[in-house]
Amino acid sequence: MSRRTAIQIGTYAIMCLAVLLVPTFVDDAFLLNKYSRYLVLGILALALSLSWGYTGILNLGQAVSFGLGSYCMAMALKLRTIPVHTGKAGLPDFMVWNNVTDLPWFWAPFHSLTFAITAGIAIPVILAALLGWFIFKGRVSGVYVAIITLAWLVVVNLLIVDQQRYTGGFNGITDLAQLELFGFEFDAYGSSSFYLIAITLTVCLFFALAVTKSKAGLIFQGIRDHEDRVRYFGYDVANFKIFAFSLSAAIAGVAGMLYTVVMEFASPTFLGVPLSLSVVIWVAVGGRGSLLGATLGAIIVTGMQGALSESETFLETWTLIMGFMFVMVVLFLPKGLAGAAERILDHIAGPVDAKGGVK
Amino acid sequence: MDIFISQIATGLSIASILLLVALGLAIIYGTTGVINMAHGEFVMLGAYSAWALQTYAGIGLIESLILIFIFVGLFGWVIERAVIRHLYDRPLDTILATWGIGIMAQQAIRLMAGGELRYVQMPEALSASISLLGVEISAFRIFVLVFTAALFAFTWCLMYRTSIGMKLRAITQNREMASSFGINSNRVYSMTFAYGAGLAGLAGALVSPLKSVSPEMGTSYVVDAFMVVVLGGVESLVGTIVSSAILGQLTGFLAFYSNDTIAKALVFLAIVILIRYRPQGLFATKVRG
Repeated sequence: MSRRTAIQIGTYAIMCLAVLLVPTFVDDAFLLNKYSRYLVLGILALALSLSWGYTGILNLGQAVSFGLGSYCMAMALKLRTIPVHTGKAGLPDFMVWNNVTDLPWFWAPFHSLTFAITAGIAIPVILAALLGWFIFKGRVSGVYVAIITLAWLVVVNLLIVDQQRYTGGFNGITDLAQLELFGFEFDAYGSSSFYLIAITLTVCLFFALAVTKSKAGLIFQGIRDHEDRVRYFGYDVANFKIFAFSLSAAIAGVAGMLYTVVMEFASPTFLGVPLSLSVVIWVAVGGRGSLLGATLGAIIVTGMQGALSESETFLETWTLIMGFMFVMVVLFLPKGLAGAAERILDHIAGPVDAKGGVK
Repeated sequence: MDIFISQIATGLSIASILLLVALGLAIIYGTTGVINMAHGEFVMLGAYSAWALQTYAGIGLIESLILIFIFVGLFGWVIERAVIRHLYDRPLDTILATWGIGIMAQQAIRLMAGGELRYVQMPEALSASISLLGVEISAFRIFVLVFTAALFAFTWCLMYRTSIGMKLRAITQNREMASSFGINSNRVYSMTFAYGAGLAGLAGALVSPLKSVSPEMGTSYVVDAFMVVVLGGVESLVGTIVSSAILGQLTGFLAFYSNDTIAKALVFLAIVILIRYRPQGLFATKVRG
């Protein structure tokens, strides 16, 4: 292990530890809930960094995976509230309002939480793999990938809003039970949820770090920097892209499930265009080429957004500031804040061995 | 038969507005390779300019068109000079930067003019409707159609019959080569951007009496216009006109016959499939590298 990797792992570990220690200092349930929310969005940003920053796939439809994960969790938690909000034959309330008489077949398996959690990862992965197969096998790349993923996001969003009878339409799925796992109850406003999310974040970060350090991870970066050259070496570029795309979808699905736990509802805005594009902002600000940078970017930007939009003076101008900041970052800091930090690291650990080889 | 004709007329009206928005987008993308996510905001600025000129200066819509073209074009020029020109070698980043500019423009308008819907008066002379083939059609919609056709013809002449257009096409084909023959590509790029923005502004001004004006209005136009450009191919002006006609008629008919949302989702799916198999569009013979 090079000295550089050691420093990197050390930084990641310190950050994760710092996050895990937050509940010992923060007692306010409302604040804890807010921080948990930022962390979940951090996981989402991490997922995009893996596909955009490491493999060069600008996925503007990241929110599809996030939203589907969120709906899977919401469906399971909704079914658990039925004894309280009973409709005819144990139907969720919004179905009763929409004159649905029987529980649709695809809702039935969600009585099992294990199934729901599996589905929350599997459905985004399967859809991403199919879409990835469709576009990457055709050697579609660059801006066209961005446009296709954006159009795909709009399609899924429209369908979910349209199928109000089964998805709750514009309102989404509300009035959920609390998540219970291994005998623990995860209260959205308690430290238990915070720990759940902080631990998931840690696992995802180190898992993604391991992937980027693996051979596949190096090929991802090779594809990002020079796709044709990797192809000439005999690698199947499309397969690696599909892999990165699906992996990113899996992590986004996990983030979506946790978001439902924190927010206590699922809504079509979770797979809306504004959220999906915001993720791109966070990752760009934090640094697309760094997993930790992207995660921190999400936490910093959403944190600032939360803090500024609470004060009277900034409520209106916040979007203006964010837009300006974003344009400036794109112009002057293409590698984001992490890129700036890396320059400092270079002074400590010596220059990088290859261009962009180690982040 | 009457329903059929009035459907065609509605479709043509939608198509003419689409064409106006897409024309600017296609010229900008075709020439500079910039995906301009702020194009919808240019449309929105045009609509707000029409509203402001009418409300505060009492200038009618038709008279203000030239002012709006200059104003929004100038705005586009400033954007190109300040931001876009640094990004020509990073096409993916232009999506991000122009989107950032878009949300800034939206919020700035929201702060200055308020978030509520605004309405623009139709010009008095065109508020009547005309009977054509037994169908009543609003005179203003016909005006928009004719105006768009004229603008399209003007743009075509500019591109294919003037020396500016020839320089522009040369740069589109090969920027380095054109520059070494003494064409100032920076200047052509910024003029192109300004012209495209000006066209978008005109589109916004012309739709303002038909639809309500709001800070978010641009978003839906830019998405549809993108579809036109993708369908038509980026370098083909004729492709742009045919594909706006197709999409305009399709939208009109689908909205008439079926569920609006599903129709929209289907159109998007069709576009996804189209990009996969013909990224160069239906009507273009070559694509920018």
